[in-house]
Amino acid sequence: MIEVPALLPALPEIILAIGALALLMLGVFTGEKSLRTVSALAVLLLLAAAAAVLPGYRDTVVTFGGMFVSDSFGGFCKILILLGSALSIIISVDYLERENLKRFEYPVLIVLATLGMLMMVSSNDLIALYIGLETQSLALYVMAAFSRDSARSTEAGLKYFVLGALSSGMLLYGSSLIYGFTGGTSFSLIAAAVSGSGPVPIGVLLGLVFVMAGLAFKVSAVPFHMWTPDVYEGAPTPVTAFFAVAPKIAAMALLVRTMFGAFPEISDQWQQILVFLSIASMVVGAVFAIVQTNIKRLMAYSSIGHVGYALMGVATGTPDGVKSVLVYLAIYLAMNVGAFALIIAMRRKDGATESIADLAGLSRTRPAMAFALAIFMFSLAGIPPLAGFFGKFYVFIAAIEANLTFLAVIGALASAVSAFYYLRIVKVMYFDEPADAFDVNTGRGITAVATVSALVTLLFFVFPAPIVGAAAYAAQSLFQ
Amino acid sequence: MANPWPDNGLLTLVWFVLCILAVMLPVVLAVAFVIYFDRKIWAAMQLRRGPNVVGPFGILQSFADGIKLVLKETVVPASANKGVFFIAPVLTFVLAMVAWAVIPWGYINGVKLVISDINVGILYLFAISSLGVYGIIMSGWASNSRYPFLGGLRSAAQMVSYEVSIGFVLITVLLCVGSLNLSDIIEAQRNMWFFIPLFPMFIIFLISALAETNRPPFDLPEAEAELVAGYQVEYSSMTFAMFWLGEYANILLMCAMISILFFGGWLPPFAFLDFIPGPIWLILKIAVFFFVFSWVKAAVPRYRYDQLMRLGWKVFLPISLGAVVVVSGFLVAFDLLPNKG
Amino acid sequence: MILQTITFYLFAAITIAAGFMVIAARNPVHSVLYLILAFFTSAGLFVLIGAEFIAMILVIVYVGAVAVLFLFVVMMLDINFTELRQGFLQYLPIGGLIGLALLIELIMVVGVWQFGPEVAGHAIPQATTNGMTNTEALGNIIYTQYVYAFQAAGVILLIAMIGAIVLTHRTRPGVKKQRISSQVYRDPKTTIEVKKIKPGQGI
Repeated sequence: MIEVPALLPALPEIILAIGALALLMLGVFTGEKSLRTVSALAVLLLLAAAAAVLPGYRDTVVTFGGMFVSDSFGGFCKILILLGSALSIIISVDYLERENLKRFEYPVLIVLATLGMLMMVSSNDLIALYIGLETQSLALYVMAAFSRDSARSTEAGLKYFVLGALSSGMLLYGSSLIYGFTGGTSFSLIAAAVSGSGPVPIGVLLGLVFVMAGLAFKVSAVPFHMWTPDVYEGAPTPVTAFFAVAPKIAAMALLVRTMFGAFPEISDQWQQILVFLSIASMVVGAVFAIVQTNIKRLMAYSSIGHVGYALMGVATGTPDGVKSVLVYLAIYLAMNVGAFALIIAMRRKDGATESIADLAGLSRTRPAMAFALAIFMFSLAGIPPLAGFFGKFYVFIAAIEANLTFLAVIGALASAVSAFYYLRIVKVMYFDEPADAFDVNTGRGITAVATVSALVTLLFFVFPAPIVGAAAYAAQSLFQ
Repeated sequence: MANPWPDNGLLTLVWFVLCILAVMLPVVLAVAFVIYFDRKIWAAMQLRRGPNVVGPFGILQSFADGIKLVLKETVVPASANKGVFFIAPVLTFVLAMVAWAVIPWGYINGVKLVISDINVGILYLFAISSLGVYGIIMSGWASNSRYPFLGGLRSAAQMVSYEVSIGFVLITVLLCVGSLNLSDIIEAQRNMWFFIPLFPMFIIFLISALAETNRPPFDLPEAEAELVAGYQVEYSSMTFAMFWLGEYANILLMCAMISILFFGGWLPPFAFLDFIPGPIWLILKIAVFFFVFSWVKAAVPRYRYDQLMRLGWKVFLPISLGAVVVVSGFLVAFDLLPNKG
Repeated sequence: MILQTITFYLFAAITIAAGFMVIAARNPVHSVLYLILAFFTSAGLFVLIGAEFIAMILVIVYVGAVAVLFLFVVMMLDINFTELRQGFLQYLPIGGLIGLALLIELIMVVGVWQFGPEVAGHAIPQATTNGMTNTEALGNIIYTQYVYAFQAAGVILLIAMIGAIVLTHRTRPGVKKQRISSQVYRDPKTTIEVKKIKPGQGI
């Protein structure tokens, strides 16, 4: 009799996979008008999957012949990803209806992309890694081109696809080298193969570099960031919101999982690469954002910068570093979802606008929106006592403790430069002559999401303990 | 068939060539008679007499046609893509021939009559029949002319569509057998021919086989009323003859596949008829199904293109996909799976 | 054995030549045809190493379906490919450099693998088939050890399908379609009216 592998550790993934099929059938049979129903059900589905993460949160279980691991690190990231996906569906629906993109495939694609992300987070094998990554990426390529009548959106999709395929190719090339030299695709086998005495075979190192290049593309770390501004700008705004949040978390978690799972013994080899990626991302993210006039492009460079800070945490190679990355990602999620909710709400009678100049005098036309956006900008800049400050604070502390003080110093400098452009937006909103007012009717979903994330960002310093504690616990599970 | 000279490079090669000739020549000969047979049946159904001049009952008509075609001049259109133009008919003919390599003809004196008894015989047949489309699409393109091109495109879409359901039908049969070897498939039908339990699959396979060989009512690639003769328009003499031979060899092959998959191949219908050798049974079965093909050609009007696509994708595909689920579910539920353990 | 060796070199040479012609052929349709030839001879190589299942699947899936669609698309496209190639020489140095780097890496890697005693211990495990045909052997691991990857690959294909539909499918208004069900359910009572006409009166 064939032995059935334990399915329970993969319960969230199974829920999403089956749910996505059901939603697809529902959408196909009810037609285009079902966007709202399917979206609502998709949000419920994502939350159900998040609930399904909780029971197995504390245990580390490996299943499917060692390809899949469920532990508290994965659990923490999965909950973040699922929340991010659910929130981005909530803030999308109004926009899609108004821009005539009313197609039920949108939430279905988000659910499938999320499924891929969960698989990435849980991967414990190069094959599982690649398959999870492709599941996610393929759905994202389609979403970038979702507004198919817009040339910019199509261009974004195509660019993302071509460059994504290239990065997948590099990842595969690296994986095959690693497989050839270690004789296994499973992370534990690879870790065992490279931990022995003697020099690490050059093939493994080459493979490691290629795999890291592929992953760096997915987190859009410099110098693999070229696609980010164009794709962020071209894709429909809700899609950009989704891109900025969930895939970043998943790819970062995957990077952590791969580095700490498969190559823990040769951390000195990958740390230097990560240090370089981190510095480059922080600097490019800070400098290039200054000249942007389009807020989506600006957010793209902002996200590149933030990836740099998060990579700093990974580069430490310590449990504290991983903890700081997790905290950073959680805070990043809250800030970015909120900021993008407000960017989606930037719309006048004649359609959506995305230039920074359109925000002029927002404090007089829409004081609440201006205030919320100001909170997010301050937080993204890392100004205490907002949440963003704590994110950076934990990362810097971890870096200093790991004797990477120069990295922390560069981070602080980049942070100061980036404050310039974040504060410029606040200045435009509060001190410039008002431009035409935005539509008052922003939609309940956006208002609710913006309010909640603004509160979280604002009040994080009051109750940091649950998130930081959970992150510390999750980080520990990687080091057993 | 066992090789009398094993482990000897050159002689083995000679043996293989002999085996190949032993199957190929009868097939080509059979094609000649089968064309005659086809025309006779067709004529009879239309109350005509059909070919009746060359030889007794016109039985040598095909040879007369063949000689005529060989002696004629090969006309090549000036703007044709020469290489591809000539490769296309050769490809059609060769593919129709190589498929016969795995057809098992039964036992004579305990010797299994088959050129190559490979493990994945059924996949080999499927693969070769899926290549058949290239002959048509290449000829359509290389002729550099409107009607052939339209014919080529139609045929590409048609053959790819129907291959999908053929694939699923094959899977239902394989589920009942537990092997991809054609001899095993036949042996598994000792007790009951598969057309009884899998009757709907047999019907789907039969109709898809018609579509796959571009026979009426699915002869849209060469529909003479719309496309003059489709991809064959620009071909003449020997190149045309090769298409013709390949097409009929393919039809015979499909008949052989139906016999093997659903009607027990070289098995006799009743055990007491065992004294008649296997090859005879298989040839008889092929002849019966060829009659069905001719009958359909004479009786049924041509499908419209959208109806053809609808039938393939919206009717056959769901039914055959469902059948895979039902058959495998049935086999598991009643513990009838072959090769347990 | 000699026959096998000859066959191997024949197939290998054809594969390489066809692969080269894919990029060298001037006519894109010829490129696709050479690609098909390369697929086909690769399938032959698979047969030679005893992987008959993979060989047949390669022919069925790539040659029988994927390449047909390639050919279909390339034939329908009206692209001037010589124009597309004009930048080719310009990028040749960079492309060549990358190719060279990859080649050197491969040589290094293969060299180390071949001659390095320290990696010999991690040689790739050999599959144990226990006398199964390789179809069975594949089925045995695909549905047990690799069931996760197998199912997930199915999800990827589903996403690709949804993506293709999302990006290209348009419902065109005003297209007349044959509705078989409404034809079948058409009722004489609602469509035909029998009237008795008295002579000389008309309707």
